[in-house]
Amino acid sequence: MSVSLRGAWRLPSVRLSLAVLAVVVALAVFGDWLSPLDPVAQNPAERLRGPSGGHLLGTDYLGRDVLSRLISGTGASVLGTLEAVGAGLVLGAVPGLVSVFFGRVYEWVAMRVADALLTLPFIIFAIAVAGVLGNGPHQAMLAIGVLLAPVFFRVTRASAIEFTRAQYVEAAELLGASRTRVVRTHVLGKVLPTIAVTTAGAAAASLLVVSSLSFLGIGVAPPAPTWGGVLASDLGFLHQQPLAPLAPALLIMITVGALNALADAVRDTTGVRADAVV
Amino acid sequence: MSGRRPFIALALAAAVLALGACGGAPAGTTAQTADGTLKWGWSLPTTWDPVTSSAGNDVNALSLVYGSITRLDDKGTPIPGLATAWKYGAGGKEITFTLRPGLTFSDGSPLDAEAVRKSILRGRDEKDSLIASQLHSVADVKVAGPQEFTVLLTQPDYQIPYLFAGKTGMVVSPKAFEADSKGVSAKPVGAGPFTLVQLVPNDHATLRRNPSYYDVANIHLAGFEVKAIPEPATVVAGLQSGQYDVATIPPSQIDAAKAAGLKVDVIPSLTVRVLDVNSGIPPFDNPKVTEALKYAVDRKALLDTSQFGIGEVNVQPFPKGHVGYDPSLEGLYPHDPAKARQLLAEAGYPNGVDVPLTTATPEGLPEQVQEQLKEAGIRTTIKLIAPAQHTQLVYVQHNVALAPDGFVGRESPLQALSVVYGPEGLMNPGRTTPKALLQQFEKVRTTPIDDPAYAEAVRKATAIGVRELPNVWLFSTPRIFARNPKVSELPRGIAVQRFDGVRIAAP
Repeated sequence: MSVSLRGAWRLPSVRLSLAVLAVVVALAVFGDWLSPLDPVAQNPAERLRGPSGGHLLGTDYLGRDVLSRLISGTGASVLGTLEAVGAGLVLGAVPGLVSVFFGRVYEWVAMRVADALLTLPFIIFAIAVAGVLGNGPHQAMLAIGVLLAPVFFRVTRASAIEFTRAQYVEAAELLGASRTRVVRTHVLGKVLPTIAVTTAGAAAASLLVVSSLSFLGIGVAPPAPTWGGVLASDLGFLHQQPLAPLAPALLIMITVGALNALADAVRDTTGVRADAVV
Repeated sequence: MSGRRPFIALALAAAVLALGACGGAPAGTTAQTADGTLKWGWSLPTTWDPVTSSAGNDVNALSLVYGSITRLDDKGTPIPGLATAWKYGAGGKEITFTLRPGLTFSDGSPLDAEAVRKSILRGRDEKDSLIASQLHSVADVKVAGPQEFTVLLTQPDYQIPYLFAGKTGMVVSPKAFEADSKGVSAKPVGAGPFTLVQLVPNDHATLRRNPSYYDVANIHLAGFEVKAIPEPATVVAGLQSGQYDVATIPPSQIDAAKAAGLKVDVIPSLTVRVLDVNSGIPPFDNPKVTEALKYAVDRKALLDTSQFGIGEVNVQPFPKGHVGYDPSLEGLYPHDPAKARQLLAEAGYPNGVDVPLTTATPEGLPEQVQEQLKEAGIRTTIKLIAPAQHTQLVYVQHNVALAPDGFVGRESPLQALSVVYGPEGLMNPGRTTPKALLQQFEKVRTTPIDDPAYAEAVRKATAIGVRELPNVWLFSTPRIFARNPKVSELPRGIAVQRFDGVRIAAP
């Protein structure tokens, strides 16, 4: 570990990424108050209008204010992403950490399950899960989380193995420290940078998948807005509004880019190997 | 993943920009002769066997392969098909058809009265038949000669010429189904204008002209491809690139198609958009609530927004001009949220009701319906289902309270009324049919279609259904096609899209 996590803060790319993400989080939390107009209020007489003083990003196919829908939809898009990453983290990182201390049978089974899950494509799996469990935001996010879990599992496990073989860990064990104490005191802190990098990368990937699923009509039910949903509806009216998809596409692109830049910077400053992350 | 991550979003944005930038004149397609291959952007049928086909819309693709005993003209009246004439006898309990001479199936086997007999009885008796209910009154089919057969009925039924114009009357080669009945679903053998030569499921079907088709002189296409449309928003680009020569488009794409130099055909159809309402599920078990629904929707606003005004406001299951269309019903349910709220209060819901609105395609019409119903005190929550679940949940399990839907019509007016109002009707999930309507069904069935009283009988049945049953009819919609200018205008068939007479010019 050449540099601590704090070192990353000095990088301009990290500051810019955090600024972007802070805005996104603010929109997610306060979106309903920040929206200039009711995001679900319809006005068919004003549908498919271009940008104007009353509607800075124009109106959609039902005359709803696009800017308000994008701002208000940030919450659902971000929440979905967090839900998926959280599920992946819990289902992957925790078993990955403790797997180091269990026997070979556990290790073999866990690795084969992880390998099997890694072969499944995100979107198709999420659609299948929605077909079985019903189409809803939580079902789709759980499906994504399940597929993120093996990534967290392998990365956390690989990192933890490295530290559990260190001499100071062996010394602690010889002095009678419990496994819980060893993990808490000597391992967890060391693998956290790796998990942080993986989380940022996974969040970027999840946001894309969440947006793609919304685009396909999986997850949040209309009329509640999402970034992917706004993008999908715009594509049906390209002739009337050829530039309309730009706004939601840029929002997704900038947010994903910020998460990726943050992950890369943390990786570089903490010395986490590039091949050890997602 | 880290190395590719920034580029995924960039690729997404680039694709969006590229789609938006599409324009200009249609690109030249693959080399065509005057007898070229026409590529039709449509939907592939659920099966190529008319007996087990489960979607009304399948009839369009199936009619490429199969000849039917009768056909419908552009007003919906039966005209000759494989049969040139028919005559009822025994008080409507038997009907004798005369086939064209020298008919053969595409496999070379003779299409005679005996083949028709076997095909009809297969439709009635096959284990998985979905047309059996339409043939339940067929007691037997008697062959009187190579070209003449008589359908013996258990009860008078003057709807047979209508029924035989659709899937029920499509004649399947006995040689094919006697060898492998289930195989017909992928290897159809009929006597239609084309023969299926290749099928790639969920992608396309390739057909070639059937030289033994009875009206082959009117088929000017050597080949035909039916191609599934994966995304309606890309159809115009597909037409420009030559992926399709003709394709169905949503109303929102009409201006784009015209701007791209494509021709647009708007063809009246039997299709009517509707809200399926299950009168077996509260609160719709209360007639006042279902009546409130009918006043709560603003049909004109729905038509103008979701269809860009293409179509006609309609409160009944038949389009204007159809024999079953009752002009006296026009304006029966004007948009009146106040009256809807009053009806809800009378039904015991002074504070409104909460119901789920189940749909696989929530954008557009369902969202607008939700907003309109809210104004009348009917608060809906959109419940998303997969498209494949619609048939199972709405038509089979009947456990959906309210669902936007579309009725593509049926060849026989009585068949259509039975589907939407009959006790076993797919679109009557509440499974209740008033006695007066059943009596009127009987009247329609036993009235010859050339009897002056026939039209009045059908319209009376329509009126009873519209007033007594819960379905909320919204508007009629035409079929909209965009075509490359090298393709001649499409025929205007109200029930089935045919391609007789269509030509495709050399580039």
